Amino acid sequence: MSTLISLLASGISLGGVLALVSVGFLLLYKATGVLNFAHGDLVTLGAYVAIWVIAEWGLPSVAAYALALIALFLVGVIVERIAYAPLRKRPPLVAVIATLAAAIMIEGLIAVWQGANPKSLASPVQNVIFTIDGARIPAQEVLIVVAAVVVLAAVLFVFEKTSFGRQVRAMAADPEMAQLNGVAMRTLSMLAFGLSAALACLAGVLIAPLNEVTPTFGFTLMISGFAAAVLGGFGSIGGVILGSIVVGLVQNLLGGYVLQGYAEALPFILMFLVLVVRPEGLLVLKSSRL
Amino acid sequence: MTTAQTSPEVPKLLADRSLPKLPGVYRQHQIIGVAIFAVAACLILPRVVTSLSDQSLMNQWTAYSIAAIGFYWIFGLAGRFAFCQTFMMLLGGYISAWVTRELGPQWFLLGLVAAIAATAVFAALIGLATARTGEFYFAIATLAVTEVGLIVFPKLTSLTGADGQTIGISPPQIGGTVLLTGEDVFWLFIGLLTLVLVVAVLLERSPLRRDAIAARDNGPVARTAGVPVVKTQITLFALGSAAGGLSGAMIGHLTGTISTDSFGLSLSIGIFLMLLLGGSDSYWGPVLGAAFYVVIPQVLTSLQAYETIVYGGLLLVVVILLPHGLIGVGRSVMVTGRHLWQRRTAASS
Repeated sequence: MSTLISLLASGISLGGVLALVSVGFLLLYKATGVLNFAHGDLVTLGAYVAIWVIAEWGLPSVAAYALALIALFLVGVIVERIAYAPLRKRPPLVAVIATLAAAIMIEGLIAVWQGANPKSLASPVQNVIFTIDGARIPAQEVLIVVAAVVVLAAVLFVFEKTSFGRQVRAMAADPEMAQLNGVAMRTLSMLAFGLSAALACLAGVLIAPLNEVTPTFGFTLMISGFAAAVLGGFGSIGGVILGSIVVGLVQNLLGGYVLQGYAEALPFILMFLVLVVRPEGLLVLKSSRL
Repeated sequence: MTTAQTSPEVPKLLADRSLPKLPGVYRQHQIIGVAIFAVAACLILPRVVTSLSDQSLMNQWTAYSIAAIGFYWIFGLAGRFAFCQTFMMLLGGYISAWVTRELGPQWFLLGLVAAIAATAVFAALIGLATARTGEFYFAIATLAVTEVGLIVFPKLTSLTGADGQTIGISPPQIGGTVLLTGEDVFWLFIGLLTLVLVVAVLLERSPLRRDAIAARDNGPVARTAGVPVVKTQITLFALGSAAGGLSGAMIGHLTGTISTDSFGLSLSIGIFLMLLLGGSDSYWGPVLGAAFYVVIPQVLTSLQAYETIVYGGLLLVVVILLPHGLIGVGRSVMVTGRHLWQRRTAASS
């Protein structure tokens, strides 16, 4: 029983992080039509920036997170300027290859800057552990869920109720029509890249205290995020959040009980099966862009 | 020379000279091109490249060229962005190593054939399963295949060895002759590359290429016009993956080891780079790109630590500035030269 509770808790918290990763990813996809393969490395970079700020300036962890968020917003804008803006008029696949190039550049830069040895990120709730029915649940997992709920609610609000969200949805529905109606593509895509990178960073600093940080950990997380997005139909944010929780739980429960050692492969197998059975994703409500 | 002339004259004019004579696909002498390439490579390379490390690089180049030509078929012709070319190389390498381990090193050629067949069948199955996916979803699905492979291969220890590391693979052996030195292996590998290039030429001249391009550029229209879109794409995917399998098997027998570490994401990016840098609309592109991929780290030795950054930056620059790769640059230089020459001769006459 206690194993079940702790597996459930870590499954839900992983789901929360995946939701942050894949919503950031989806936001960008909706605004620009580009799958950003650099998203995972932005997750990694966010965690490393926070580690560096704490180590260099001795700031408390929350302040370091805030600085990392701002830094990653700027990095997102830079990635947009370098890897997307020059390719806006080319086929989307070309822009995808460019983001892949940006991804390995970021990965290489991190390896040169911080080295390949695993590091750890401090957290405000570092050594707090709750005990429920004999199951030990790190407070970080609770923090992840709370932060994810708050931030995702904010994202949903922005997406549904604000002018920015309306513009993003207009771009997703019909890019040409949206631009004819005065959506400023340039500003919108820079903002979308920045916000998406900030969401990636948030996911990074939230999950990093639970594991060790290596230059490739975000890429793995991103692929699980792909799986979540595909499960959710790549359209609605709600669907993607649901998909994230499913992936998190499947990875922890199935991987914890039945297929030990294969846990990391499960999201990919799940995603592959979904693509085979439903090439448009499971929860397709409206026609999406893919 | 103008179109304003009366209509009966037009066909004659067209036949005469108003349209430049475009070479038909049979008049491009592609087989001769491959033959010249093979002879030149055989004559020049063994004399220029003499050190052991350079010979090993040269052999790597031939193997990478084959993998990249396979990726050209999948991505360049069929327009399917497959993330699993390195997975196919890995699979081919393991299969061929397994065959020579179980049956003995004299079955080297059978190992290569087994690698080709296994990867082709596996790719065909994946192609069938993902036939209905759009371009991004296909990329993600094949990425999933690669990731699952990287996790599962190390656990299949009877096929892949401890921790996915197969070591001590026997060197290539043909008809009782063991090819031990880099130069011996080169003769075999350049032969294999030439064979693959001949297949590329045959493909270039076959209706399959036309179908693939139609399916790539406008799937729904091609389907309406009776092009078997799915069949074409799966055929090319299987063919390209088989080239990947062959390449992986060659690398395994060349270096003696196959492990998941050396076929990870950075080699995937390397394969993309080879094709895009060389030029993704010609089968010479990947051969040229693979040469650059092998040579760049040798030239930029001081940048060893920055290798991935350099590759990423290069890929970015190529994608933005050279959409048709180095082959495209050469082509446009030739076209401009021809125009200038024609203008000069027209002015002087």
